Amino acid sequence: MASTATAALSLRLFAAKLPFPRRPSRPPPLLLSPPSSAKPISFQRIATAQPPPPPPPPRASSSPSPAQLQPIEDLPPNLRSIVALFQSVPDPKSKYQQLLFYGKNLKPLDQAFKTRDNKVEGCVSQVWVRALLDSDRNVVFEADSDSVLTKGLAALLVQGLSGSPADEIVRVSPDFVTLLGLQQSLTPSRNNGFLNMLKLMQKKALMLAAGAESNGNGAVPAGEAKDVGIGMNSDTGVNRSSVSESDVDGGREVSVEKSNLEVDEVDSESSLGSRGQRIRERLEKELSPIELRVEDVSYQHAGHAGVRGSDGETHFNLRVVSKEFEGKSLVKRHRLIYDLLQEELQSGLHALSIVAKTPAES
Amino acid sequence: MRMTMAMEGAALKLAPPGPFRPNSALALASAAASSSSSRASFRRLSSSAAASSSSSVLADSDPSASGSLSLGHLTRPDFPILHQEVNGSKLVYLDNAATSQKPSSVLKAVLEYYEAYNSNVHRGIHFLSVRATDEYELARKKVAQFINAGESRDIIFTRNATEAINLVAHSWGLSNLKPEDEIVLTIAEHHSAIVPWQIVSKKTGAILKFVDLDGGEVPDVSKLRGMLSKKTKLVVVHHVSNMLASILPIEDIVQWAHDVQAKVLVDACQSVPHMAVDVKALDVDFLVASSHKMCGPTGIGFLYGKSELLTSMPPFLGGGEMIADVFLDHSTYAEPPSRFEAGTPAIGEAIGLGAAIDYLSEIGMQKIHDYEMELANYLYESLQSVPSVRIYGPKPSRNINRAALCSFNVEGLHPTDIATILDQQHGVAIRSGHHCAQPLHRYLGISASARASLYFYNTKEDVDNFIEALNSTVNFFNTYK
Repeated sequence: MASTATAALSLRLFAAKLPFPRRPSRPPPLLLSPPSSAKPISFQRIATAQPPPPPPPPRASSSPSPAQLQPIEDLPPNLRSIVALFQSVPDPKSKYQQLLFYGKNLKPLDQAFKTRDNKVEGCVSQVWVRALLDSDRNVVFEADSDSVLTKGLAALLVQGLSGSPADEIVRVSPDFVTLLGLQQSLTPSRNNGFLNMLKLMQKKALMLAAGAESNGNGAVPAGEAKDVGIGMNSDTGVNRSSVSESDVDGGREVSVEKSNLEVDEVDSESSLGSRGQRIRERLEKELSPIELRVEDVSYQHAGHAGVRGSDGETHFNLRVVSKEFEGKSLVKRHRLIYDLLQEELQSGLHALSIVAKTPAES
Repeated sequence: MRMTMAMEGAALKLAPPGPFRPNSALALASAAASSSSSRASFRRLSSSAAASSSSSVLADSDPSASGSLSLGHLTRPDFPILHQEVNGSKLVYLDNAATSQKPSSVLKAVLEYYEAYNSNVHRGIHFLSVRATDEYELARKKVAQFINAGESRDIIFTRNATEAINLVAHSWGLSNLKPEDEIVLTIAEHHSAIVPWQIVSKKTGAILKFVDLDGGEVPDVSKLRGMLSKKTKLVVVHHVSNMLASILPIEDIVQWAHDVQAKVLVDACQSVPHMAVDVKALDVDFLVASSHKMCGPTGIGFLYGKSELLTSMPPFLGGGEMIADVFLDHSTYAEPPSRFEAGTPAIGEAIGLGAAIDYLSEIGMQKIHDYEMELANYLYESLQSVPSVRIYGPKPSRNINRAALCSFNVEGLHPTDIATILDQQHGVAIRSGHHCAQPLHRYLGISASARASLYFYNTKEDVDNFIEALNSTVNFFNTYK
């Protein structure tokens, strides 16, 4: 009864995380069986023994199979959270609402920057993208469009990629968009606004990193141009620290980012409400994690209807590193967490986005 | 017996209501195809009901109720592709100006060609190739008859209308245009009717002149007349506009052009599929159309040209089939149409086009046109009722007919957003963009528009579904403003 309800809820949430580029309204019936070929790629476990093949420089492919999708850990952290957010939104209509919400909050682009150079090629709607470097030499984007759906996608990319170093941006494969469940095509064509937007952003990031000025703002010192190793980085590894080791210039940016992240963590955690605190306590007690991050992202879901009527604390991102997960499949780990948080799930907690690792994996 | 009478009852119902009479160009054009052939087609329709698959629903329906079945309902069963779901909703296909769907009889004809007698044409002596050649040339004859061309050899098969216009531009244009010669076009022309002439005018020094729209949002016909002079060598106009839905008085334009010794090329892509077009009555010099917009396969289209023009034109593409004798240092060329059909043609597709013409003729172009006029008005009125909508092109009236399509915008919304949600949430297929008419959009001051376009297998229910979906879509976006 209670447990089956939870199981049903967790099944539904779990199922929603699977990529199904064809029919997102009817999730595949998967689920408690250990993942065989139907690996839930959102939290794909990457074998440390053998590094995955290097994600190729961004190319479009239609409907990549789960095995080929770029591991989610390789995406810039902001983009990762956006993907997680969309995955926890169940139905297509709400996803569109969420997209519109993003677009609405996108800072409008100054008319002065709506230039030919900044325009995304394509014949259906008008999209402009502007790129500049911030004080840490990370790329920051601004964008605009006359189509609200495209603006939503632009907002997603702006938010997901801004603040990342150029080499990381360039490594992002467009495949991640299938995880959003928006039926966004990956077929290259002049009509594919999303693909063309991403390509332009990556091209501009590349140009910035190489020292070219894309909009006349702030020259990048020429000496730093050489070692960014864009798209050629074969040692992607499991976590970000190994990335930083192999990439001379990237290292600096990564560590800067990490500290930014930590700052964010502290901020979001210090403002955890009562439910957030309860979640934290419960997980700490039962799992003795060596690392635990609880992030309240309910505000990001203010846009879609599923949340209306509740008073916040509905969506959380969890990152748990614990010995308790050893020997357990990903599905089992998630079940474990859901079981521990049963009460919350029954009293208004809407969705969890979980990263569950053993100490060896983290 | 009862079937026939019921069908005639249905025919009466389908005649257009009072105020909307076909305009003069159409009346003349359809004179050939009017009463006698439509009666014959009704008889054919009812007698074939029992036997053929082309109108199978008649056999099953209650004869007394068949009077209330529209042409759309009657023909829908012939189009397998229409019966599917997309994104969880029933498909409502409203993008016919982009391409039409194909009835089973056309699909069968193409399949049968490949299964039973596929063989290269004009070259062989053996049984299969003789049969293929016969069917291919029969298709050519069907096209000629369909547009009342008189001679089969005045029909040249091309890949599509775009290629046909390029053929005229490169073959006739390059050898007939001199510096300061003028070509008159409208700003509402499809890119395929503009770009080849831009290319050729660069090479020859000819000048392109464009007619813009009048207050009724149709190309200004009197301005067009005023633009004609003895410098004009060619007038390039559409018959029916794929964006404005307006219909031009081709007969008049041809007369004015001939008065100044100019030739006329008519882009009939949006007219030939929807009404009877008579090239003799219109007296056009060149006319182009594509098979895929008239229930035929893609990959085939045709150019009609007056015999004396075609015989004087140099080749377009060179190669096999279009030659008479080939030496190392020169070759001599075949007579039209072969002169302009280099290489192996799209044989199966041409035969498919022939089958499409059979299908359309069996229904009768007048009947199709009358039904579409009804649908056109219904679509326009229904769309007008959507708040903040802006439909482009003329308002239908006593004297002005619109084709069964509407390009439109909803204030404050981008057409792509509308089209996306219509597709994703409602299964309604429309088009959004500039519809290969950028100059027209620029003139109207818009970057893009949405367009719903119908064909005879659409029904009023399709229009209702579209409008309902559109209202729902507009609400969806407005709640996020």
